[in-house]
Amino acid sequence: MITTEGVRAALPHRYPMLLVDRVTELGPDAIRAIKAVTVNEPWYARLGPRATREDLAYPDFLLIESWTQTAGLLAKRLAGDGVEGQVMLFGSMSDVGFHRRVLPGDTVEHHVRLERAVNDTMIFEGGSRVDGEPVLTVGRVTVAFRPGERPGADTPDPHPGVVSRTGGR
Amino acid sequence: MTSPVLAAPRVVREPARDEDSGAWSAGFSVTITGDEPVFAGHYPDFPIFPGVCVMECVRRAAEAVMPPGAEGARLAAVESCRFLTAVHPGDELGIELSWSPRGEDWRCAARVETERGRAASIRLRYRREDPA
Repeated sequence: MITTEGVRAALPHRYPMLLVDRVTELGPDAIRAIKAVTVNEPWYARLGPRATREDLAYPDFLLIESWTQTAGLLAKRLAGDGVEGQVMLFGSMSDVGFHRRVLPGDTVEHHVRLERAVNDTMIFEGGSRVDGEPVLTVGRVTVAFRPGERPGADTPDPHPGVVSRTGGR
Repeated sequence: MTSPVLAAPRVVREPARDEDSGAWSAGFSVTITGDEPVFAGHYPDFPIFPGVCVMECVRRAAEAVMPPGAEGARLAAVESCRFLTAVHPGDELGIELSWSPRGEDWRCAARVETERGRAASIRLRYRREDPA
C-alpha cells in the first residue's frame, strides 16, 4: 500500500501530470493502483457547453501515462536504494490495446506485473480496468535506470526523466 | 477526444498516395512552446515534453489525414513506440507519417524528429467500428 503522500514522494511528476492517486497492492513483482477521473480534469477546461461523450472520454495516452507511472512506482521499489540519484527512463512500449472509453466518474484500476528484468532494464506488462471491465491492455513497457543529472537547457541527450535510447526492440 | 496538448500539427507535406507501395503519407510540423500545460508538472524544475504527448501529436496528425477508406476508424492500439531523444520547450517536431491497410485495420507509422535527431518511432493501429 502506498498512500497519496507516498506516491508524491516517490514520483517527480506534479499537477497536471501526476496521474496515480493511490497504490492499493504492492507485492514482490506486481502492483495495483487507482486513478480516479473527474469532470474537473484540466483537459476538459476548454470544452464548450455542447461537449459530447467523445469529448469527455479520458485521453487514451494519459491512460498509458497513468499506467506507466504505476509501473514506475513498482520499478523504484524493485530497484531499491541502488538507484538513488538515478533517473528512470521509459524506453519503449508495444502491444498496447484500448478497449472501452474511460469517462468522468470512473475509477481506473491499473495492474502491473514485472515480466522480466535484464541488467538494468525492467519489462512490465498488465492493464487497466473500470468496474472490472478492461479499458487498457499493455503487452510490454520497458523501464531503465541511468545515472542522472537534471538537464539544463543545453544538456545533451539522453535526458533524465525521459525515455531512453535503451530498451525495447 | 480531448487533447492534453495545445499545439496543433500543421501540414508541411500534403497527403499523397505512393504509387509503388500504395501507402498514404504526409508531413507535419508541431511547435512545442513553454505554454503547454503539461510542463508545469513534467517536471516542475526541468520541463520535458512527455513521451505520451509526442504520441498525442502523432495521433492528431494521423487523424487529420486519414486515407480514403479509413474514415471513421478509431484508435485501437499502439503497436509499438520507441522514444530516442527528449523533447523540450521550443522544439519543433517534424512528423512523417504513412498510412497503410492491414487486413480489416489500418496502420499509421510515424517518425518524429527534432533538430537533435530522431525523437520517436510510433506505430498506431486503427479499426473501423462495427456498423451495429
